Amino acid sequence: MTAIYGLYATPDGAQKAFDRLRAAGISENEITVMSSEPLEEYQFGSRDRQTVMPWLAILGAATGLTAAYFLTSLTQKAWAINTGGMPIVSNWTNMIVMFELTMLGAVFATVLTLMKTARLPGRLPKFYDPEISNGKILVGVAAPNARDADIVEGALRSARPEIIKSV
Amino acid sequence: MNLETDNRLTEDLLRPVLHTTRRFYVAVAVFSSIVLCGIATWGYQIYNGMGVTGDNWPVFWGFHETNFVFWIGISHAGTLISAILRIVNATWRRPVTRCAEVITAFALMIGALFPLVHLGRPWLAWWLIPYPSERGIWPNYRSPLVWDFFAINTYLLSSLLFLILPALPDFALIRDRTTGWRNRVYGFLSLGWHGTPKQWHRLESAMHIMALAIIPIAISVHTIVSFDFSMAVVPMWHSTIFGPYFVAGAIFSGIAALIIVMALLRKLLHLEAYLLPLHFQNLGKLMLTMSLLWGYFVFNERLTTWYGNSPHEMNVFWSTQNGKYAPLFWTMVICNFVIPFPLLTIKRLRSITATVIASCGVVVGMWLERFLIIVPSLSRKATSYSWGAYTPQWPEIVILCSSFAAMALLYLLFSKFIPIISIWELKVGQHPQMKAAAEVQDAEAAGELI
Amino acid sequence: MQNTDKQGQQGTPHRWGMSVDLDRCTGCEACVVACHAENNIPIVGPEEAARGRAMHWIRVERYWEGEFPDVALKFRPVLCQQCDEAPCEPVCPTYASSHTSEGLNAQIYNRCIGTRYCANACSYNVRFFNFFSPVWDKPLHLQLNPDVSVREQGVMEKCTFCIQRINTGKTAANAAGAPLKDGDIKPACVQSCTANALVFGDLNDPESQVSRLSHSPRGTRLLEELGTKPKVTYLQRESWNESGNR
Repeated sequence: MTAIYGLYATPDGAQKAFDRLRAAGISENEITVMSSEPLEEYQFGSRDRQTVMPWLAILGAATGLTAAYFLTSLTQKAWAINTGGMPIVSNWTNMIVMFELTMLGAVFATVLTLMKTARLPGRLPKFYDPEISNGKILVGVAAPNARDADIVEGALRSARPEIIKSV
Repeated sequence: MNLETDNRLTEDLLRPVLHTTRRFYVAVAVFSSIVLCGIATWGYQIYNGMGVTGDNWPVFWGFHETNFVFWIGISHAGTLISAILRIVNATWRRPVTRCAEVITAFALMIGALFPLVHLGRPWLAWWLIPYPSERGIWPNYRSPLVWDFFAINTYLLSSLLFLILPALPDFALIRDRTTGWRNRVYGFLSLGWHGTPKQWHRLESAMHIMALAIIPIAISVHTIVSFDFSMAVVPMWHSTIFGPYFVAGAIFSGIAALIIVMALLRKLLHLEAYLLPLHFQNLGKLMLTMSLLWGYFVFNERLTTWYGNSPHEMNVFWSTQNGKYAPLFWTMVICNFVIPFPLLTIKRLRSITATVIASCGVVVGMWLERFLIIVPSLSRKATSYSWGAYTPQWPEIVILCSSFAAMALLYLLFSKFIPIISIWELKVGQHPQMKAAAEVQDAEAAGELI
Repeated sequence: MQNTDKQGQQGTPHRWGMSVDLDRCTGCEACVVACHAENNIPIVGPEEAARGRAMHWIRVERYWEGEFPDVALKFRPVLCQQCDEAPCEPVCPTYASSHTSEGLNAQIYNRCIGTRYCANACSYNVRFFNFFSPVWDKPLHLQLNPDVSVREQGVMEKCTFCIQRINTGKTAANAAGAPLKDGDIKPACVQSCTANALVFGDLNDPESQVSRLSHSPRGTRLLEELGTKPKVTYLQRESWNESGNR
């Protein structure tokens, strides 16, 4: 058996199921929740909020800044061409290129962090149910062992799901 | 969260994606043919030389550069709506964000083509890319055109990501509700999105960071485009006001474009329940603010020029006030200020139709403004023997029209394959807390005098 | 081979400049024709010239002053000023417009992608663009100068102070083992000026004619207030009253 899950019509129902599962001794890590919209007002939907993304964005920005600094100044020094009497390494104008690559670095770092931490692109979990896109919220446990399977099913049922499935 | 309203919402917003009318095919055919005419004309121009345009000595820049600045300006719509309203938590933005971001992405793509169109040797445009070449030479980072390369590419990449990432949950939605080729294609596009709280949090963090990043990028882009002019010591170009002036003008024209697009979507895709008069009211108020800001900048620029009375600048000044370009100048003032001001100020007049009329005027007026910045100054430079004139030729006019057709075509195709209103974001707006917050904001808005 | 191309001081680099005596210029435009011939400048034809596409690297500007019968006609030959702080140089994205060590503003055709920004930035309007591919109707093609390239459509061009003649002169001086003398190198316009109004030489040689003229009390520079530091000195006309006295 891969998983047991219930599909709930309301977030309250999903929250109840979540609470019953926790009460039955299933740890948070083992409970999977999937929904077609973010439900941060509910406790089940506010997990995994902590992220290092802003720091990585700053790191990406710093990388972009450094790359741009070296790109502009090193190439200007490599073949020094006089244009209009401006300095060979002209910092004021290089700053513009540095700004753009800084911002690009921040954006790329953010997107790459998103892809990595959200596991995109990735495979759908085996017990993903298209009913989620009809507004239902899926609460389930993946790969419960034989002893826990009944406990899980009981907890899920007690919150009155629309559908309950084992796959 | 009411399952019934949510499902009705999903049905309404997916309908344009899942059902295609005959009108759609006709529109695509019409716009595609105009775009093909434009591409063919560009080919004709490349083959025969820039001489087929109206460019000459000393007016070396004309319609193509006007279009460049104009389209990059239009692209500022998405940034204002999506990013700024997202950061200040304006709830009314939800149905509007994706419409706006799509304008940004496509206007940028079209705008970024024009530097290629205006080149004498466009087949060498890749020399602007910084790469270690066999000739040992790199781009000149002191040139505003190289700054353009970096700025526009940064903005384009960021905007595309800003558009596509929040579309992932909607792709997942379509994947789950369809079968056959749609299921496979959207399955691929959704990258395996399955809506765990972790994924939602990461997506929202990413959107928040990108919104914060994209605002300075957008401001820098149009400032850098303005540097194409202000860095040259040409009368009435070499002005410190150009940076903020162009950014304000860009946001102004972007909002106008957004209003027109939203009105068309509302009508053609039957989105009356989602794109409400409230949205047009709010955008209309924003456009009024930008119109006043634009007028303020124009007044600043004109007064300092006239008061300073520098001979070279006054030649250009008078050619726009009562000389050759005066008809265009005063048309611009009427379109950008005189028409929008009453339509958008007087609450009774501020209907959807009125905001669309004002917006059409603004789009025309802002195109004229770009033209009037470029051509009069070049036609009246320092030494009077070398004064000249500019008359557009048919290739420039065809390419201008086909840029609008390209925008329409790209937009049509986008709305066919991706829901034009972000479904999950709209659903979030229906949450009780969000709804309560929205109601408070609407009440405050309704209580205003204007 | 030892480089004997030094003038006066040991190994001082050249700094090419010109002076234009507006008092001597008769407006005959021999310089314009000579420049066209020397530098393979295309003739655009009357229709294109009427549309503002004529390419005269040196042009004679004509200004009328006053009302009849007190009309005065002034000629001013205008060519690339080879500015030391040229506004056309920083704006070129591909370094096609850059400054040489001998003070010339080089236009490197091979790097030009035709953005035309340099032409807009030039306050003297001395830069020209190949709007079409140049064509020389037979037998004019026989007259093309093999020392100068032919530019293709989409490329900017302008006066180079006849750099091909400068290079030939320097090479000849090296080969002969003798230093370059003032007047050895003459651009086509200088060579063909019937009134000797145009003088070309090395501004770093204090003995050269152009150096002395650049310090003349009659000397002015075009649009000097813009700070471009042009290297062409215009010697103003003296004015005479009716009885022939200054």
